[in-house]
Amino acid sequence: MSDPRDHDQPDDSEEEEDFNPAPADNSDDEGNNAADNDEDVESSPRQTRKPSPARNDAADDDDEEGEGDEDDVAGANDDEEDEEEEDDEEDEEIQGHRRKRARRKDKRSAFFELEAEVDDEDEDEEDEDDAEHEGFIEHTEAGEAEQFAREDDARHRELDRRREMENDMDLEQEAERLKKQYGNKRSARGMGESAVVPQRLLLPSVDDPSIWGVRCKEGKEREVVFSIMQRIQQKQGTKDELGITAAFERGGPNSVMKGLIYVEAQRQTDILQALEGMLNVYPRTKLLLVDIKEMPDLLRVQKTPTLEPGAWVRLRRPPKHSGDLAQVIDITDNGLEARVKFIPRLDYGLRDDALAATTADGKRKRPMGPGPRPPQKLFSEVEARKRHPRYITGNPQTNNWQYNGDEFEKGFQVKDIKIQHLTIKDVNPTLEEVTKFASGGEDGVENIDLKSLAASLKDSTINVTYLPGDVVEVYDGEQKGVVGKATNVQGDIVTMEVVSGDLAGQTIEVPTKGLRKRFRPGDHVKVIGGSKYREEVGMVVKISEDRVTLLTDQTNTEITVFSKDLREASDIGGQGSLGQYEMTDLVQLDPTTVGCIVKIDRESMVILDQNGDKRHVMPSQIANKLPRRKLAVAADRNGAEIRPDDVVKEYGGMGRQGKIVHIHRTYVFCHTNATNENAGIFVSKVSNVATISAKGGRINAAANTQDLSTMNPAAKRPEAKNNMGPPKQMFGRDRLIGQTVTIKKGGYKGLLGRVKDTTDTHARIELHTKSKIISVAKTDVVVRDSVSGNVIKNYDSRKPGAFGMGRPGGDRAAPDWSNAGGRTPMASASSRTPAWKTPSAGAGGRTPAWNRNGDGGRTPAWAAADGSRTVNPYDGNRTAYGGSGGRTPAWSSGSKTPAPDSFGHGSKTPYGGSGSSDPWGSGSKTPYGAAPTPGASGGDSWGYTPGASGGSGPYDAPTPGAALLGAPTPAAMNAPTPGAYSAPTPGAMNAPTPGGGWQSGWGADSAPTPAAAAPTPAASGFSYAVNAPTPGAWAAETPAASGPRYEDD
Amino acid sequence: MFFLYNLERRLTLHPSYFGKNMKELVTTKLMKDVEGTCTGSYYIISVMDSFTISEGRILPGSGLAEFTVGYRAVVWRPFKGETIDTVVVSVNQHGFFAEAGPLRIFVSAHLIPGEIKWDPNGTPPSFHDEETTIQVGTHVRVKIIGTRAEVGDLWAIGSIKEDYLGYFLHLLPP
Repeated sequence: MSDPRDHDQPDDSEEEEDFNPAPADNSDDEGNNAADNDEDVESSPRQTRKPSPARNDAADDDDEEGEGDEDDVAGANDDEEDEEEEDDEEDEEIQGHRRKRARRKDKRSAFFELEAEVDDEDEDEEDEDDAEHEGFIEHTEAGEAEQFAREDDARHRELDRRREMENDMDLEQEAERLKKQYGNKRSARGMGESAVVPQRLLLPSVDDPSIWGVRCKEGKEREVVFSIMQRIQQKQGTKDELGITAAFERGGPNSVMKGLIYVEAQRQTDILQALEGMLNVYPRTKLLLVDIKEMPDLLRVQKTPTLEPGAWVRLRRPPKHSGDLAQVIDITDNGLEARVKFIPRLDYGLRDDALAATTADGKRKRPMGPGPRPPQKLFSEVEARKRHPRYITGNPQTNNWQYNGDEFEKGFQVKDIKIQHLTIKDVNPTLEEVTKFASGGEDGVENIDLKSLAASLKDSTINVTYLPGDVVEVYDGEQKGVVGKATNVQGDIVTMEVVSGDLAGQTIEVPTKGLRKRFRPGDHVKVIGGSKYREEVGMVVKISEDRVTLLTDQTNTEITVFSKDLREASDIGGQGSLGQYEMTDLVQLDPTTVGCIVKIDRESMVILDQNGDKRHVMPSQIANKLPRRKLAVAADRNGAEIRPDDVVKEYGGMGRQGKIVHIHRTYVFCHTNATNENAGIFVSKVSNVATISAKGGRINAAANTQDLSTMNPAAKRPEAKNNMGPPKQMFGRDRLIGQTVTIKKGGYKGLLGRVKDTTDTHARIELHTKSKIISVAKTDVVVRDSVSGNVIKNYDSRKPGAFGMGRPGGDRAAPDWSNAGGRTPMASASSRTPAWKTPSAGAGGRTPAWNRNGDGGRTPAWAAADGSRTVNPYDGNRTAYGGSGGRTPAWSSGSKTPAPDSFGHGSKTPYGGSGSSDPWGSGSKTPYGAAPTPGASGGDSWGYTPGASGGSGPYDAPTPGAALLGAPTPAAMNAPTPGAYSAPTPGAMNAPTPGGGWQSGWGADSAPTPAAAAPTPAASGFSYAVNAPTPGAWAAETPAASGPRYEDD
Repeated sequence: MFFLYNLERRLTLHPSYFGKNMKELVTTKLMKDVEGTCTGSYYIISVMDSFTISEGRILPGSGLAEFTVGYRAVVWRPFKGETIDTVVVSVNQHGFFAEAGPLRIFVSAHLIPGEIKWDPNGTPPSFHDEETTIQVGTHVRVKIIGTRAEVGDLWAIGSIKEDYLGYFLHLLPP
């Protein structure tokens, strides 16, 4: 044949061959991922192609034939050739028509020599593509007929000869030769250009066979393709070989292309022919011609999620169970169905009756009507037998049952479900759901396979959140083992800064799916993911792969979670509250029960009640929250005070020791770190604990620890100064006795009476209305003025003497005085001092006088009192007396003088001061009454008084004198108030005088008061002498300042 | 680990204590206030000396005098990774609690070597293997793997799952 061609051929072929293989490799890669079946299927048409005249041009056929021959001849080459061919075929399938053509050309030129003869044989089979051959032949035919005949003849002979030779040739040699000729090429092209050829050049064109989508039965796609393959094999080499070049399916459980197979053929009729009479495929329905642009997409490989036994899935199809979690037990051989187990939702025919009713109405009975679906519950044989004893069969030993056509194993329902009816991705089983499966174990031991759970979770990366700053570890892929810190997160890509290893310091980007967070034991972490431990905070104690065990802060319990659900936490806190309730809050459960919250879940909480029982309650079951009373106090078994925050220990029992959290009535809730149980809270009776240490060392607070931020106790003034002293002890006769009172309560309410006698609490009252003495509580009486009937509030500070005297006039006249008298300094020692203190008192005239209690004895005392009383503001009141005394002018000025004062006080003070009942005695009164009288009468009685006072007589002597002078006054006084006033008057008169007398007599010895008084008497002495009415006034008034003033007047 | 640490503290004094021995009072108060307390990361074990006591400054309103006292104290700070000797105070199935002075350490069962098993039936309940028994009162050498600060308290998690850790002495009950 044409030699130039032969010469060209190598170059050409090299080029072309080089061009080809690259895609071949590519296709290989892709093909590997694709189902092997596809390849098989596709390879079959190749074999059928040879005889198919419709498609293949002669050259191609020649190639094949030639190869076939060679194969026959040189078996040793078989493999290589086959491989090559296969590659080529794959190229064809995937890259499309153009490449096929190119290859055809190559092959033709490459095999030119060999094929020439084959051509001859097959010439009749040449089809429309023969153009080039024709050209070639034309060329040869261009010569004359003879030449043609001769050449033809020569060619035939040559061919014969070569055949001969070939037959003679050693097969091995032949193999060698072929290898030399073709073997290199292959390797050469294989190496060179895989990367060079752009894929887009390999895309199908209009010249390539078209692809049609053919409807088939859903789920049977693969079967159909298999049967096509079979048919091709059957028809191979026969007359009616199939005209299709490829068939494949893209079914798969979740594919949108399910229910279709794709067939590649030049003509639509080929397809119809090929699929004629095949089961499950419907070529007569409309065929879908795939657009050329879409062809590559059709063959794009998608990695199908693999389902393995043990994996978790969610059900989609039985509507009753849609969304339920299920576990894969097994996968059927064809990979289309999975045997899953899940928790059944059975009502055991409870709703059958209702449905029967509807059927009676003529409605169609639906096996699973709308309405609430039964809750998930493990299968119960007992329940099932109740209503449907006939429908249940099974083996109690293995716990496998059939009920209503469903299978149940160990309580779980088991069912074969098509994979497309399962949700495989983003299952996100929660631990709670999974636990339900685990708890179904016969032995009751929880055997959650965390590994499969992890696998299920790993598929879903949606809820894994990486934040800048997280320490992450790459556990998958090329960078496996690299640890770094996330610096940026964008979508699925985490930019991380590597912190250790060879890459330290570099920044790399990793997809999240190969990442996990990394923690170390001791890290403080918080659960953020969707597990039930969300919000818990704790410290990592153990890490294995991506499961992290942590010890929670709140409850000191250990929990295991996936590292993806964790974050480094800086805060403590954590899940400590549910609504208004917090850990360790005291809550009221019912009127008699309180409890302490020891655990808080997302929707419920655990409460340790006062009896030590644990209860699960919802927030709505809590009556109210008891505020924490910091000031609550109780007494422990030793009687020591305990308060919240004190450390106490149980006496007996478990001897637990803890800090008091709450005290409620007789219960203490304590917290201890020694146990994890109930978050360390325990409850005990107050009487069953003993204080170990009190907060702030209350118990041990010794005197030496002083609080330096408060008042220094040592610097405090004595108590007595600061506080009012205790109420003066009342002694002697009850002041109430003799008072006129009204009764304000009880049956005698409102009645007037007089107190006859009293006890501590009660008073015996002689009623005015009738002669009866009743006993009434002291608190139920109101003291009233016996004349005016006015309420007297502080009767006991009055000088009951006035009453005792039974002199209404006096009472009337001097109620206020008496008050004043009570309060006078007279009572205080100072005023009395000189008198009392005088050692000579005993010897001195006065002392005996005091002691005596005698009438006369008191006279000087009054004088002393007068002196002190000089400034008594009550003087004004007394003016009236002066007025009444008729001494008007003198008195008016003298009204302020001590004289009247002294009257008043003089009369009363001693009584108050004396305190004893003696002076009250009629006997004692008498002298008073008597005293003035004699005074007035002449001084005999005075004479008598001094007499009584003994040594003081001489001093008293002047007094009488004064008394003489004063005589008129008392007389005046006496007129209205004979008894009461007669007594004071002389006293008053006497008072200054003795004062003066003492002064002179005892000198400095007498206290300041007398001293002050001293001048006065002198003056008054004179004034007495001169001016009868005013002497008293003078005497009292005198002290220095008033002296001049008075003179001015 | 123990440290000598220079610290500062403000103290107030009631006017009634103003006088000659104020410094003494302030020092006493300082000791009383800080010794034995925990600041969150360390314990103040003892005040060595108080070297500067500032002039008292009267606080407006209260009349208290405020002193700034600089002092030197022995403090103890437990570190992550530190190994310390402790005494077991309570044992339960999750692990045991041990105390090192004021510090309470929890050793989780995960951090106890596998051969040391929890024996709930013993009296008292304990963790033990052939040679050693960890029960209340046992002296245990523990490595701190994490600390946690609470208000006025510190608390740690420890491990004995390493060489040379764990049981080293048992105090016989008296």
